[in-house]
Amino acid sequence: MPESLPLLRLDAVSKDYVSNGERVHALRDVSLTVGAGELVALVGRSGCGKSTLLNLAGAMDFPSSGRVLLNGTDTSTLGDAGLTKLRRESVGFVFQSFQLLPTLTVLENVELPMLLAGHPDARGPAMEKLAWVEMDSLAARFPHQLSGGQQQRVAIARALVHSPFLLLADEPIGNLDSITGNLVLDILRRTASERRVTILMATHSAESTSAADIVVRLRDGHVETVTRN
Amino acid sequence: MIPLLRLFYQFFLRPMKREPVRTALTTFAVALGVAVVLAIDLAGTAAAGSFRASLETLTGKADLEITGIGGVPAETAAKLARLPYPLTVAARIEDYAMVAATGETVPLIGMDLIATALDSEDKLEPLRSPRPIWVGPRLAHRKGETIRLTINDHSTDYTVAGILKEGDNAVVMDLALADEALSRGGRLDRILVTVPDTTSIEEWQARIEHAVPPGVTVARQGARTDENRRMLAAFRWNLRVLSYIALVVGAFLIYNTISVSVVRRRPEIGILRALGATRGGVLAAFLGEAALFGVAGALLGLALGRLMAEGAVQMLATTVQALYVSSTPAPIQLTWVSVLLAFAIGIGTALASAFAPAREASQVAPTEAMARGRVEYQARLHRGRDLVLASLFALAAGGAATRPPVAGKPLFGYLAALLLIAAAALAIPSLVSALTAVSSRLLQKTLGVEAMLASRSLVASLRRTSVLVGALATAIAMMTSVGIMVGSFRQTVALWMDNQLRADLFVRPAGPAAADRHPQLAADVPDKIAAVQGVEAVDRFRAIAISYEGLPATLGAGESQVLARYSKMRFLEGERDSIFRTLPTGDYAVVSEPFANKHGVRKGDHVKLALGGSAHQFEVLGVYYDYSNERGFVVLDRGTLLKYLPDPAPSNLAVFVKAGFDLETVRGRVEAAVAGRSVLIVSNRTIRAEAIKIFDRTFAITYALEAVAVLVAVMGIAGALLALVIDRRREMGLLRFLGASAGQVRKLILCEAGLLGLLANVAGLALGSALSLILIYVINKQSFGWTIQFHWPVAVLGGALTVIYVSTVLAGLYPARVATRLNPIEVIHEE
Repeated sequence: MPESLPLLRLDAVSKDYVSNGERVHALRDVSLTVGAGELVALVGRSGCGKSTLLNLAGAMDFPSSGRVLLNGTDTSTLGDAGLTKLRRESVGFVFQSFQLLPTLTVLENVELPMLLAGHPDARGPAMEKLAWVEMDSLAARFPHQLSGGQQQRVAIARALVHSPFLLLADEPIGNLDSITGNLVLDILRRTASERRVTILMATHSAESTSAADIVVRLRDGHVETVTRN
Repeated sequence: MIPLLRLFYQFFLRPMKREPVRTALTTFAVALGVAVVLAIDLAGTAAAGSFRASLETLTGKADLEITGIGGVPAETAAKLARLPYPLTVAARIEDYAMVAATGETVPLIGMDLIATALDSEDKLEPLRSPRPIWVGPRLAHRKGETIRLTINDHSTDYTVAGILKEGDNAVVMDLALADEALSRGGRLDRILVTVPDTTSIEEWQARIEHAVPPGVTVARQGARTDENRRMLAAFRWNLRVLSYIALVVGAFLIYNTISVSVVRRRPEIGILRALGATRGGVLAAFLGEAALFGVAGALLGLALGRLMAEGAVQMLATTVQALYVSSTPAPIQLTWVSVLLAFAIGIGTALASAFAPAREASQVAPTEAMARGRVEYQARLHRGRDLVLASLFALAAGGAATRPPVAGKPLFGYLAALLLIAAAALAIPSLVSALTAVSSRLLQKTLGVEAMLASRSLVASLRRTSVLVGALATAIAMMTSVGIMVGSFRQTVALWMDNQLRADLFVRPAGPAAADRHPQLAADVPDKIAAVQGVEAVDRFRAIAISYEGLPATLGAGESQVLARYSKMRFLEGERDSIFRTLPTGDYAVVSEPFANKHGVRKGDHVKLALGGSAHQFEVLGVYYDYSNERGFVVLDRGTLLKYLPDPAPSNLAVFVKAGFDLETVRGRVEAAVAGRSVLIVSNRTIRAEAIKIFDRTFAITYALEAVAVLVAVMGIAGALLALVIDRRREMGLLRFLGASAGQVRKLILCEAGLLGLLANVAGLALGSALSLILIYVINKQSFGWTIQFHWPVAVLGGALTVIYVSTVLAGLYPARVATRLNPIEVIHEE
């Protein structure tokens, strides 16, 4: 297991929402430190705060209290433009339902984050990441011409195209059968170990848990246990 | 019934309430469509109906009327009164006067007041005042006051001898006084006859025809009103058709709203079907949703239409007055028929345009309830088939454009226009696909990735895009085609004026003039002007409003020799020099193009006119281009007219100044020569500027109608983009996750609006150009009989299209704001 500097640090982070006039405590006093190249599995029942933790870590949201430090930057000190820049440079997202744009080809989907960030030469990195997930031969296809597993591999390539430090995956194998899911998990594991990308993965599956370096169990917004495999 | 209403509330009203802006936009689009149709209907009735009120003032309930070109001899009335029948005979002189103090034009009626007052000294007394007149209540003068009236070319003081109980703003005077004021020379304008009902009107008409001199017409009272109504029919008909454009655009938008509603609710429809809803029930529910928009739109449209009619009536009255007949607008009356019309068109349009998507909803299988997630808005389009159909429609349009009018109406012209619009609607999906496919990469290079995403998204929802582009393109096409037609017409009129208006000065009486009113100058005025130092020639033109084959027209007489020397009058038929040589030599005439088309008269034909107590045939030597009014002219040589109607007073004069003389100096001398007369002396430049001003005012209403249609379409774009944002909120959220800034999401939506605008402009310009050909060469020609030279009004069109384009992009601002305010975390996790 590689010894690493903390890439992501959560200091006493809480997050409250107001839903239908009632205050909901999604996360309470969560502290966590994750190093570069570590694969972390967030487990727990639905509604325990996994997705909220991912959103805070990915600079998509601000904590109600506490601090989120991403590669040394306190996200609460940034405005919308700063958060957008941080995401563009440092964070990649993978979703349970793939979320590929149906109007773009595989290659165009992967190029998209770089183009949105204003990089004119997105093709090279996009093809390289597609080769990493072994999807380069299907670059010209549209999402509806791919299987679920293939779509999720494209989504991983898209999340990695701008070489982020942190990859956030929300139930990445939740919509896949076990064989395909294992294939995707293997890619994620290789990405963490070989590319030194820190991965935070919300999951329900036992396979994902056993593949992780660290398993964080959440319950009602609290960190219940942190286990290193 | 109650459970069904509850379901309707849950599935339709609740979603409407959740999207109030979009619901309001669609309702307002329908309301504007209804309002425009209603406003034109109400204003048309008020403006065109009013001519009845002016000269029909104080006519009583007469049965027959006797008229003649240049008037009816006064003896005719006396002769009729002496017939051994119990007839009531009322002789009238009818014209217009201008109240000098206010400039208001008022009907002037001469009646035999002395004869009716002879039985009572009380009635005779007021007639002894100096120049006594009775005025209508709207003029609001007190008895004994003095009013200065300008009649023909002189202004005189009259004493108000009494206030009429009715008659609006009319001025009534005794026949003898009217005869003197108008220099009628003992001729009456009309004799009204009331007959006993012992036998049929036709029988009485025949008896009276025997008693009147030849060349005098006996017709049922109100025939003139009917003639005017017939003349105005084409004008009102075309305006009415134009007013339906906004409604057509509104129909496109209802179609789009219901289509979106169906697509969004496919899973819901599937569930309802699985739970026992019938196909008919689903169809009725979606039609009910459309009907709601129709009812709400009609209610709002009623109020809006009533308001808009106030503005429209003034515009229409100006046009009617300039081109057709004397008119003062009547009050606008919102009748039950108007209310029913508003509801019929509002609900009818909504239901008709919603039927196709509602039917599609009823075809949704219950198994679709099992489908996971939202079914994408897939266009079941058959582009190849639609292109073939579009070509067939375009060919059919070409065929229809060559067909003659039906009962004077260019019905096939309208059909051709409709077929072209349908052809364009069918071809638009292919146009959208082709243009976006070609431009996608180019857009990315020039405008960035947001533009590329916008273009892809538009193709992905091709049907929705096509409907939107179709709606806006139709509005733009109508604006373009009417713009090209009006621009071409304006240019044609300007060129025509170059040829027609060659004189340096024009002189006419200050008394009120209109297309059917030709006040006269005193007979000695031309000679006085001709004697002015620096004047080379004077053309005396006389115009008389006549009726020809049941339609109003104008009989004119000019000096052929002067015209031959100075004018550059252009003829469609006939050779100019030969025409001017032959015209003074006998019973010959030239006719204007609108007259020739309306009455089917060609060179070599004869027109029959009753002049000077007998009917005469005038051989038509040629047909000339004329754009001065739509009534049409028959023009004789002045000598020929004088032979039959020995009244030398001209209606207006064209004065040619000798070379080397200063125009302003000569003008000053002319003014001095006619001092004491109420005349208007205008320069060539002023008269042209005035004519163009009248022209622009005439067509202002068409521009207003186009603007409303474009506004409806732009509102539709705003509503549709809002729907698009709501439907694609997950995509917007995803883009934020992938690193897009709020500004980039805004740019994406604005790019979509811009692309929609661009596609609609391209399609609209192409369709509009084709429609302009139908408007100019078919609909205008068959309705009004004018030859219009095609001309591109580049500056006007360029300006209008730019405004529309910018408006379309601006219409994307609110949806863009909604898109940037979406919470990406919430929308990305929606399922």
